[in-house]
Amino acid sequence: MSFKKQLLFSGFLLSFLIVKAQNSENLIPKDAVTVFSINNINLFQKISLDELISYDFMNEVHQELFDGSTSGSTLKDSGLDFNQKLNIFYGKAQKSEISGFSFGVKDQQKLFTVFDDFDLIDKMSSEKTKVYGSFFNNLIIRENSALLIRVEPTMDYISEMTDSIWYARGNESPFDYFGDEIEEPSILDEKVFGEEEIIVEQETNLFPDASEDPNVKNYYELRDSVQLVLQQAQLKLILNELLVQNINLPSFDSRFANQLTHNSEGVFYMDNARNIDKASGLWYFQTVLPSLYKDIQELYAGNVILGDIFLKDHAVQFDITAEYGVGLGAIYKEMNDSKFDKNILKYIPNNSSGYFSYNVNMRKAYEKAYEIIMPILSEEKNAQIAMNVLAIELMNEFINKDALFGTYKGSMFGSFNGFKKIKTKKIEFFYDEETFEYGERVAEAEEEMPIFTYGITIDRKDIPEKVLKHFGRLTSKIQNKGNYWVFENAIFDAAPLYMINRNGLFILTNDEDLAVNHVDGYGKDKINRKAGKKAKKSGFMYANINVAETINRFPMDVLNDRQNEIIQTLKGKSGSLELISSKTTSKKTDFKFEYIFQGDDTSGKHLLDLINSIYIIVK
Amino acid sequence: MKKNLLFLILLIFSLSSCIEILDDLTIHTDGSGSLRYNINLSSNKIKVNSILALDSLDGQKVPKIEDIKEKVQQFIKTLDAQNGISNVKIEENYTDFILKFSCDFTNVLLLQEGIKATISSMTKEKNISELNHNWITWDGTKLSRSIPAITLNKVKELNQSDLEQLKQGTYTSISRFDKAVEKIGNPAASLSKNKLAVMIKTDTYSLKENSSILENVIYLISNKN
Repeated sequence: MSFKKQLLFSGFLLSFLIVKAQNSENLIPKDAVTVFSINNINLFQKISLDELISYDFMNEVHQELFDGSTSGSTLKDSGLDFNQKLNIFYGKAQKSEISGFSFGVKDQQKLFTVFDDFDLIDKMSSEKTKVYGSFFNNLIIRENSALLIRVEPTMDYISEMTDSIWYARGNESPFDYFGDEIEEPSILDEKVFGEEEIIVEQETNLFPDASEDPNVKNYYELRDSVQLVLQQAQLKLILNELLVQNINLPSFDSRFANQLTHNSEGVFYMDNARNIDKASGLWYFQTVLPSLYKDIQELYAGNVILGDIFLKDHAVQFDITAEYGVGLGAIYKEMNDSKFDKNILKYIPNNSSGYFSYNVNMRKAYEKAYEIIMPILSEEKNAQIAMNVLAIELMNEFINKDALFGTYKGSMFGSFNGFKKIKTKKIEFFYDEETFEYGERVAEAEEEMPIFTYGITIDRKDIPEKVLKHFGRLTSKIQNKGNYWVFENAIFDAAPLYMINRNGLFILTNDEDLAVNHVDGYGKDKINRKAGKKAKKSGFMYANINVAETINRFPMDVLNDRQNEIIQTLKGKSGSLELISSKTTSKKTDFKFEYIFQGDDTSGKHLLDLINSIYIIVK
Repeated sequence: MKKNLLFLILLIFSLSSCIEILDDLTIHTDGSGSLRYNINLSSNKIKVNSILALDSLDGQKVPKIEDIKEKVQQFIKTLDAQNGISNVKIEENYTDFILKFSCDFTNVLLLQEGIKATISSMTKEKNISELNHNWITWDGTKLSRSIPAITLNKVKELNQSDLEQLKQGTYTSISRFDKAVEKIGNPAASLSKNKLAVMIKTDTYSLKENSSILENVIYLISNKN
């Protein structure tokens, strides 16, 4: 076969695969705001369902689907079509929240051995499309693709509708806010409007207790009914849009459609502009200052995060692009327009297990944000906003910005340098040989402690000096040691914190060796030139972590539950994690996140672990 | 609330491998006496502080210092109300994390019953298997001692990976009498020069490996001699 023919044939085959084989993505509702779309789900064939659902991102989506009846099954036995994409999505709008996944179907009979508690809903089904329901979820099968979806009206929407009906029926507030006694909320009786007259006329003295009348609903029964009706209405609306009008996420957002054409193992999509609706803190603006809310929405317009996932032999790589709208893009561009401070490299030791640099210009960011956001705020005709605008403008005039942004320029670095024994004091008992009576004495002790270094770039070294000098006069715990300052027992009332204010950096560390012996940096023991170059060449952010040395030895005790959960997903692994960012333009920043691993696990398994970590971070 | 105290005990023991426990029992000829029980975590201050800074750990709520203080007061009040027990005191040092408990008792049986009743009352749990056995018996001339099962179980839960720390932790048991000691059952124990006190000491690792290591029978010189 000639090269031309080979090319033609390959092109034909590729287009056939793209057009024919992958259409589960057309069942992603347009209201999905976050989507993980896995292209090559063959990778997961060997993963058992039990293992799959143990991941938070699967477990939380539809945990009740995978009950004990699926134990021991693998995805291979589940009737899925592995030539189609697996798309996991989530979205929250003002009226409802949706979650679920869409996938290809190869064998419906096998599929229903997994989805064994779904019943066909005749009235919602058609010849081409079958709709099934279980308690919370719906399964929609159209041709060779399926959508598993859960639609839940938002609590605010349910309350709004329930209250509206409740009060329209002439009921009083179901909540006794001011009563002396707090009554059990389950006995909130509804009075049926107009019924009192009839009862008075009958003079039976038997005023009907609504809770005892099966025909009259109390507040919570009414709320349950409203929730059910709204859920069904929202589902109908979404399915109508998706299946009748053929409006889905790829047709609604060309950026997502374009992302799906990438030759990667998976794609990631998060529409921050629509996510802003999810931010509950903005409800005040939505209701009280709708025009300001609209302006904020406009500021966020165009903000989307798009990503590709590439699986290599011993690596998982994420290529992520954060796209910005005009307003925020201008702020980010200014913020990230900062020169890399080479001095930080001196303070990262060559044997550091993990380090990061973050390089931003707070002054430029502040000035651009002031330029963009202040006019929006100034146009608001609201007394409180007007006072805030005045306060900000006055502060802008009066505050010495040279001093402020000279002290905190915005750039920083941090490193985790393993564990060291540090000196502490302990109380020990000592015994008298004659009587075995005992006393207490203070003795030297050593405790193993994770060694962290954190530093910010600074132009005005005189300002922290001034602060430390005055604090040093207030307490003997803060002492000037010449080249550095020490704050005794600053960490957990047991270990000292060292402060180094040199070379355009203000550094906080619990590493005595750094403060005493390397106050001007590690010299030849600093991070090697190649690694330093990578950090320098990266845009505003760079991170490098040796997984085995950092994650596996990280002191879990010092983390909260959520941070612990993230770290746990990476425990027991080896290899390295590297995050590189591009220069930020007014339109986007590119990030490359690569996880290079060792060991026998497939990259699919590693990918699931990472997806789970990301899910935990963003949820 | 019942998990609070248990969790507190668990927290103290299982997360602080480098722990110093001193258990000091004085028995007078009439069977009355006093007990001092000290827990010293000062060599693990950073770890204890870092744990206390958390909201929860392993799905359990981590008590705040205020919660611990409240529980300690509740323990004092409940134990002090028990028959045969008086003068209950606990010195609390939350800078170095040292707790020093002391009380007087009229006899060792009432002491043990009082402690069991207090723990049951505070945990609202009637059947705590660890409380079923008596760890001290005294017949006027012979004292048999072991370690309370609840303490032993917590020692067994210590993290094996902190081997070095475990070896640094100590458990010291002292028994004091009005009369001189004639014979000691456990060869690892030592007698004070005045012959009125017996001390046995081990590290927490050895105790974890051999729970009977601190068991001891002490015979006093009887009046007939």
